[in-house]
Amino acid sequence: MKLAGLKSVENAHDESIWAAAWVPATDSRPALLLTGSLDETVRMWRPDELTPVAPASKGHALGVVSVAAHPSGAVAASSSLDSFIRVFDIDSNASIATLEAPPSEVWSMQFDPKGTILAVAGGGSASVKLWDTSSWQLVCSLPVPRPEGARPDKTGSGKFVLSVAWSPDGKKLACGSMDGTIAVFDVARSKFLHHLDGHYMPVRSMVFSPVDPRVLFTACDDTHIHMYDAEGKSLVGAMSGHTSWVLSVDASLDGAAIATGSSDRTVKLWDLSMRTAVQTMTNHSDQVWSVAFRPPGGTGLRVGRLASVSDDKSISLYDYS
Amino acid sequence: MRPEMSRPHGAEDLLRQLQETLDSDPDNPLHHYNIGFFLWKKGESVDDQADQSKQLRERAAEHFLASAKLNPSDGVAFRFLGHYYRTVSVDAQRSAKCYQRAVALDPHDSEAGEALCDLLDGEGKESLEIAVCREASEKSPRAFWAFQRLGYLQVHQRRWSEAIQSLQHAIRGFPACADLWEALGLAYHRLGMFTAAVKSYGRAIELENSRIFALVESGHIQLMLGSFRKGVEQFRCAMELAPHNISAHLGLASGLLGWSKDCIKSGAFGWAADLLQEASEAAKVSTCLSGNLYSAWKLDGDIKIAYAKCYPWGTGRIGYEIDEDLLKSSIISWKKTCYSAGISAKHSYQRALHLAPWQANIYTDIALSLDFIDSLEERNNNDLEIWQLPERMALGGLLLEGVNKDFWVLLGCLASRDALKQHALIRALQLDVSLSSSWAYLGTLYRNLGEKQLACQAFDRARSIDPSLAFPWAGMSASYHDGLCSTNEAFESCLWAVQTLPLAEFQVGLCALAVLSGHLSSPLVIGAIGQAVQRAPYLPESHNLHGLVCESRTDYQSAIVAYQQARCALRMFPNFRSDLQSCFTDVSVNLARSLCKAGHAIDAAQECENLKKEGFLDSKGLQIYAVALWKLGQYNLALTVARKLAENVSTMKEPCAAAALGLICTLLYNISGYDSVVTTIRKFPSEFLQNTRMSLIVCALNALDTNKQLQSLLPTISQTAVSLGIAIEIHSITAINKLITQESPQTVAIDRGVDYLRKALHMYPNSLLIRNHLGLLLLSSGDWMALQKAARCVVIPTGHLHPVKKGFRLPYEIHGAMAVACGCFCSINPKFSFPTCNDGVMHGTRHLHLLQRWLHQEPWNQNARYLLALIVFQKAHEENFPQQLCIISKRLVLDALSTEVFLGDNKLSQSRSLLLLCASEISLQSGDSVGCMHHASNALGLLPTNSDLFFAHLQLCRAYAVQEDYSNLRNEYTKCLQMKTVHPICWILLKYFESRYSLQNNLDIIHTNFQACAARKGSSSTNWSANFELVCAQCYLWDQDYFLAEQALAHACVANMDSCLLLCHGAICMELVRQQAGLQFLSRAVTSLTKAQKCSTMLLPIVSLLLAQAEASLGAKAKWEQNLTLEWFAWPAERRPAELYFQMHLLARQSSTVSNQDSGVGSTQSPERWILRAIHLNPSCLRYWRILHKCYS
Repeated sequence: MKLAGLKSVENAHDESIWAAAWVPATDSRPALLLTGSLDETVRMWRPDELTPVAPASKGHALGVVSVAAHPSGAVAASSSLDSFIRVFDIDSNASIATLEAPPSEVWSMQFDPKGTILAVAGGGSASVKLWDTSSWQLVCSLPVPRPEGARPDKTGSGKFVLSVAWSPDGKKLACGSMDGTIAVFDVARSKFLHHLDGHYMPVRSMVFSPVDPRVLFTACDDTHIHMYDAEGKSLVGAMSGHTSWVLSVDASLDGAAIATGSSDRTVKLWDLSMRTAVQTMTNHSDQVWSVAFRPPGGTGLRVGRLASVSDDKSISLYDYS
Repeated sequence: MRPEMSRPHGAEDLLRQLQETLDSDPDNPLHHYNIGFFLWKKGESVDDQADQSKQLRERAAEHFLASAKLNPSDGVAFRFLGHYYRTVSVDAQRSAKCYQRAVALDPHDSEAGEALCDLLDGEGKESLEIAVCREASEKSPRAFWAFQRLGYLQVHQRRWSEAIQSLQHAIRGFPACADLWEALGLAYHRLGMFTAAVKSYGRAIELENSRIFALVESGHIQLMLGSFRKGVEQFRCAMELAPHNISAHLGLASGLLGWSKDCIKSGAFGWAADLLQEASEAAKVSTCLSGNLYSAWKLDGDIKIAYAKCYPWGTGRIGYEIDEDLLKSSIISWKKTCYSAGISAKHSYQRALHLAPWQANIYTDIALSLDFIDSLEERNNNDLEIWQLPERMALGGLLLEGVNKDFWVLLGCLASRDALKQHALIRALQLDVSLSSSWAYLGTLYRNLGEKQLACQAFDRARSIDPSLAFPWAGMSASYHDGLCSTNEAFESCLWAVQTLPLAEFQVGLCALAVLSGHLSSPLVIGAIGQAVQRAPYLPESHNLHGLVCESRTDYQSAIVAYQQARCALRMFPNFRSDLQSCFTDVSVNLARSLCKAGHAIDAAQECENLKKEGFLDSKGLQIYAVALWKLGQYNLALTVARKLAENVSTMKEPCAAAALGLICTLLYNISGYDSVVTTIRKFPSEFLQNTRMSLIVCALNALDTNKQLQSLLPTISQTAVSLGIAIEIHSITAINKLITQESPQTVAIDRGVDYLRKALHMYPNSLLIRNHLGLLLLSSGDWMALQKAARCVVIPTGHLHPVKKGFRLPYEIHGAMAVACGCFCSINPKFSFPTCNDGVMHGTRHLHLLQRWLHQEPWNQNARYLLALIVFQKAHEENFPQQLCIISKRLVLDALSTEVFLGDNKLSQSRSLLLLCASEISLQSGDSVGCMHHASNALGLLPTNSDLFFAHLQLCRAYAVQEDYSNLRNEYTKCLQMKTVHPICWILLKYFESRYSLQNNLDIIHTNFQACAARKGSSSTNWSANFELVCAQCYLWDQDYFLAEQALAHACVANMDSCLLLCHGAICMELVRQQAGLQFLSRAVTSLTKAQKCSTMLLPIVSLLLAQAEASLGAKAKWEQNLTLEWFAWPAERRPAELYFQMHLLARQSSTVSNQDSGVGSTQSPERWILRAIHLNPSCLRYWRILHKCYS
């Protein structure tokens, strides 16, 4: 397996780009790359050429922290530092809903595989909020319990939930916090299952393996990538190689590789069978905030694509094979 | 014990030798050791051949082993064994044991100790390591290696106080080890002993100037202690050494930020902006080096926001005419700079938040930056239903950290709803009741809500909790509007606020209060408003107030520019004002006034014209208009405007009306003259005349008028003139009025003025004005006695010079003039002459000091220079021109002359000619008759022809006399005669000259002229004639005509009973007696001399001596003795002449022969001693020698 640089767009945004996600392809158009930036805008890009689809959509008053696309490819959501989530139609760029949460209580987001629920890492509320995607109402809040014997944290309510991930079957939800704890929930029963131990620094990104719903990859500030058995609550493996925080992780569609972006300004491709970095991309000149593999479907078919966005205001697109 | 091995040439020989020694005595451990050592060293030297080296070392180890076995107390052998096990046979266990043994045997063995510790460290046995070190250190205080190691380990384990002890001990052993000093500094630092830490770090840096850690840490301590400059210095050093060290960059940035905050606090915005720019660069470098340090981004944001809040508006002074477009663009670009700095601060904070979203304070930082940006955008969103973004972000901080009181205060500031504000502030107070900022903001909130009482209480609380917080002071000063405090109090409060926090809003408020309380010209205010203009150039008020301040400092050009800028600002940002037009009018009126004051009457008139066209010319404008027109010479128009103004008077408020009336009167007086203004004033209703300004005007007009047309208005005025200052002024004016007499308009009746002022002074004894005025009048009264009174009634103010009413002289000047005047006829130093003046002795040096003090205070004051030159000249004159004083006096005179003088001024040219005469006199006295003539003729040329040229000519006379140029002398003398001066002294001098140089034997001309002059002098004419007789007598004496001289002096004595004249008369009589002219002269002499003795206030010398002689001739021995004794006391001790001692000898001899019990002065010493002292003083007198001879023979 390898990555080959396809295209890079300098100054894709006016400021640092913090978030990236792929919008699945629909019948009428291929998959699009969605990016959110400190310049308070969200942009969409056509793959391979990386040309902007439409003018930048505004509507946030502060930097965009996270973007998420509905599996249908019609709707996307973006959240900003002021804790507003803007839900908009991909093709018309029209706002569908504005979800308001108390300030500091929105961080990253993900739609569930079926597209009925939007899970939002609840930041300072120490919980994961679930929004219904038809009514756009808050349906559930899953609080992260304090682990036994943990010291009371000085940051108010305890934890700051940074990341969230749906298992591919949509049954389980994992969330990562600033103190390194990872909580796994059973969504159907709205029940906390257990913690996954091993990290002691903020877990900024996590993803379930698309082929194996039990396997969870986490990216943490301690420069390691962990591989958990989410059900057996055990650490399966740890991969190290980054020299600074690991900011983002995504798994390839075949489940054979994961890609990570890091504060050390690199993008690494990890071979899961060997559990080592097989390739390091150094084309970014600042920390890489997000990496994303393109979902299947649409034209282009089985050709793998990886996108990465960085503080250096650029987007890079790689061919994954 | 052990001979050190110096390697001989043949190593093999040595080895063999060693082997032989060992063989001869195989049980000696020393021999084993020696050979082991030799082999070990050899093994070390052949390190490149591993096998051979190993072999050698193994052999060495065998010998060491043998040595150790034979002598188990030899630590060195164990050490080498340890080395062997560690390096060659790699057996850590054994090695450690050997080392342990070595250390146990010799705790000073640092090599073994260090090696042991390294071994233990490698195995991670930290506690064991500590135990080893501790044991060694306990065994010997000189085991410095152990203390060092222990210290490091304790630092590592954060046992700071123990570490300090160990490290200090170790430093005694290794004082030049920078590591130790650094570790010690760190330990002190962590214990909070900052000064000690700085010293230790400093020592480390001194030893090794590349100690980054020490530099950075001591820099941080300096920042913590508030000495930013030093800290920045340290960080800069560190940065140069390690350009990629993030902490150095961050430290530099935060140091510069702290420094700039100090600058901002003191109002130096430009400086602060420069520092912040540098700081921002340093922060940028550090964020580039490591992008995921949220604190770096936060610092970057802090720097940017501070920059945005202090960036000063560039005041490129454009000159008199200002370009509106340029101004506009400069303000806009200023705003843009602030705005973009704000935006980039917002971005930096967001990056920080993105990296660490759990940090609550970053939410509040974002909130603040958003609020700042909103304020620049002038976004005024009144939609109270929606949560504003800054509010939301402040809330974000609170959600994460609800117990932070400052966050609550911040929410209270940023919230848009009053209820929320109040809630948030009260929440903060619940968390900490003594949170002064919360109280202050609560006060503001209540003020805005109109709850004045509550507001006041809140501010009071805030103020008492933290007096250094600017905000409550500013809030208190605002309560002036509610009538809760006086303008002065409000001004003081606001001033304090501005001094603690130079915020543009406070500064504008301060100036507004200064206008009300009359502090406009205070330097504090001008500084404040300058800063306000820098920080709020878009506020028309700041420019307008700046103009007012400049105007009050008579800097009209700047004021004009400021007003024009204010007008531009009004045009540019009209949305700031609701009452735009009235502001516009105010500024325009101000502009017109400044233009008028600056002398641009045309522009001022134009401004008023414009205002008139628009219909906004109010009473103030009308006044300015009238003045401008008058200045332009358009009198009719000016009068028309004045009339219009007069029509409006009745509708004006009290002070405005008074000002307007005053202006009308002044204009009328200047344009149409006295009579028309009198008629106008009569037309005014009397209630308009009740104010101070008008009463002064009426009073002054009345004073000028001999017909007293306005007299009827006066009494009402003086009754109502309540204010003390005004009453005094009225008295002063009335005194001037008294001077102007109806009878003789040409001369002034000074006596009447003096009388009036005396009464006034009795009423107001502490009024400086009346005192000065009285002093001035007394000075010009011409009465000899008056001078001293003048000096006594004028008080020299202590401290700074009080402003004196224009046209009046300073107390200093009066004193100086008095001193000069006194010096003319009164000796002022008893050392050089014997004053006979009855008016008491003047303290000449006091005046000299006074004048010097004055000149020191006002070096530019020509008058002081002039008076000082004169008084020094007088001193020189009195002391008979000693060289030193001549030089000083000449310098002073020339210095006073060197300044350029406008010659048209009569008074100035007179004083200048007087100085020239002084210069010429000094030249004459120092033997430079050419210079003397030069100066005198200069003086002649300078004076206008109609003035009194007598003295200049006289000076020329004297110069010719010195040169013995008699023809020219005669010429000048004739000129002098032709002058026909009115001064008696001139004639006396001429008489003297005539006789001295036998110029003309025409006594009559001089005599008759003198009589005429003296008669004019009134009461002092007898004095003058006495003086004249004295000169006559002098002339007779030159002619050896003693009889006539005696007659003349007898006349003089009749005219004036001055003791000097009497003495002269007595002396001449005695001379006549000596010449055996007749005994009647003896009795005359006795009479005169007795009178002289009685008249003089001090004992005059010679008088008593002569009298004693006369009495002796008459045979009165007792009187002779008595008078001689008096004579003895008449002389100052150091100036008694030899003859006096001789006389005392006579006296002593007399008393010794009689041997009476009278213990007079003469009997205190033996006659021989008296004669000896006389000889000692004057050894050339043969008479004394002869007597001495007689005494001893």
